[in-house]
Amino acid sequence: MSSATKNVKLLLYKNFPVVLLFIAVLNETDFNYLNSKYFSFNFSYILIFYYSVKRSQSLGYIYIFIAGLLNDVVVGTPIGLSSLMYLILCVTASYLRNITLRPSLVKDAIFFLITILIINSLLFMSLNFIFDYELEIFDQLINITFTFILYFLFSNIFNFFEKYLVSNNNAR
Amino acid sequence: MEISRDDFVIALRSAFLKKGAQQRFSLLSLIFFSIIFLILGSLNFKVTNYVKTAIQEIVYRSSFIVSLPENLLKDNYLIVQNHLNLYKINNKNVSELKELKSKNISKKIIEYENIRLKQLIDDYFVAGNEIFAKVLIDKKSPFLRSIIINKGSKNNIKLGMAALDSIYFIGKVVEVNYTTSRVLLISDINSKIPVSLEPSNIQAIMSGNGNEKGIIEYVSGARLKNKNDNLIVYTSGMAGLFKSGIPIGKIGKKNSLSNTGLMVDFYKDLSQLKFVKILSFKKEFLNSSIKVNEEVSKIDIENLENSKNENINFLKKQKKISEEIRIKLEDQNSSLNKQLIKLRKENIELNNLISKANILISQEPLREKNLEFLELNLLYGGKCSKNNFKNILKKKYKVGTPQYRACVLNKGKY
Repeated sequence: MSSATKNVKLLLYKNFPVVLLFIAVLNETDFNYLNSKYFSFNFSYILIFYYSVKRSQSLGYIYIFIAGLLNDVVVGTPIGLSSLMYLILCVTASYLRNITLRPSLVKDAIFFLITILIINSLLFMSLNFIFDYELEIFDQLINITFTFILYFLFSNIFNFFEKYLVSNNNAR
Repeated sequence: MEISRDDFVIALRSAFLKKGAQQRFSLLSLIFFSIIFLILGSLNFKVTNYVKTAIQEIVYRSSFIVSLPENLLKDNYLIVQNHLNLYKINNKNVSELKELKSKNISKKIIEYENIRLKQLIDDYFVAGNEIFAKVLIDKKSPFLRSIIINKGSKNNIKLGMAALDSIYFIGKVVEVNYTTSRVLLISDINSKIPVSLEPSNIQAIMSGNGNEKGIIEYVSGARLKNKNDNLIVYTSGMAGLFKSGIPIGKIGKKNSLSNTGLMVDFYKDLSQLKFVKILSFKKEFLNSSIKVNEEVSKIDIENLENSKNENINFLKKQKKISEEIRIKLEDQNSSLNKQLIKLRKENIELNNLISKANILISQEPLREKNLEFLELNLLYGGKCSKNNFKNILKKKYKVGTPQYRACVLNKGKY
């Protein structure tokens, strides 16, 4: 394999979370809304939280901020709101990283649950009371529940990806 | 305790302010930026609006490009599915086409009649310029059930215009950029549309449920009467937003149990929109009336021609019938004439007979008198006749004269 191809591959692996985040917010299929009343989850939250806790260098805050703006434009919510929520998520993730001595998936997940509860409450209140949008509280609860449950799955997938693909490529 | 509080503050400060190796901005500054964006976005400044529009234009296009592979897969899947169902669909289409063709004529007449009636009651008419737009993004968000279309203010799209898929109402324009716009779908929880429930003609407000259905939130006035019937939901045209009578969906029998909370099944699948029609409705007195008049006069001409043809056919039939009647009458007339001539002849003969009889009848007293004369002549003829020798001295009359007759009748006395 030539070095140029190798460099491109490495670059792709390194920027994989950013690319994934941008695809998640720009793509038509939104896991937040899967045409099912009893199933939806927020993939962006999982991605941002995981990479902010585990690999903070992979996902720059500025990219998260821009992704939030894009999400607002695409979804139709007031511009800046999703950015704010994403950044609050980053703050809590960063706080968790600072206070954690022995990382544990369960602790991370519980912290993640508390965070998304706060974030979604903020989002619900701001959209309902400030910006005059109507939201179904039941949908929000479903969304929070599945986001929490699926954190375990995606966390393992991201772990696998980082461990075997990115590390191997770095090693070569 | 004091130490743990310090730790918390340090960790939090670090979280907010510490920049990583590749981070150019701290989280706190970015949070401030977000809040500034939110505040500026809610204020209606011209500059911010321009910036917002520019961002939206770029993002919509980017989102369209990013969604291309997914849409390609979706389209291919749909193509394969369509191919598999082609025979079934074709059979269905053929039967539907036959049915629709037969319905089309009566529908056209009703349509134009409707236009005429609407003209009479001064209702809203469709503006001439329909704008067809392609759906760029159909992001199914829980907050906004909306689509992005590839037409904007450049193509005269304005806020509040109605979006239709074929003839069915699907939403309204809520955001207009230079080359793109956002259409809020009727399935969105924030969409409130004044509707009319037929056949009972009940006014109501319909909102979306965030999924693929609508909810009747407020029913004005009377309760629903025909609970066994399917109710059809149309736009009511109230508040002057849209014209009345655009079909939206229907309420099944099972759903029509209470006045509020009725579920509306939309005629169109709002998750499968590809192209939409954007329309604005305004009163068009002159153009519409001319257009309608032209259409109506066209129909009138057609009707006139049809009625002419019908009249001609009718007259032809009438002529044929009258011809038959004439021939019959002529036959009858000739036979009657013959009868008349015969009767006249008989009449003349009878008249002759009568006259003869009359003559005979009129001659009867004379005959009687003659008979009496003859009888008396035998008895008294000699006394009156000149030829008798015995009567030389007496006054006598020559036989056959009136005096002789009178003499005989007087029994020989002078």
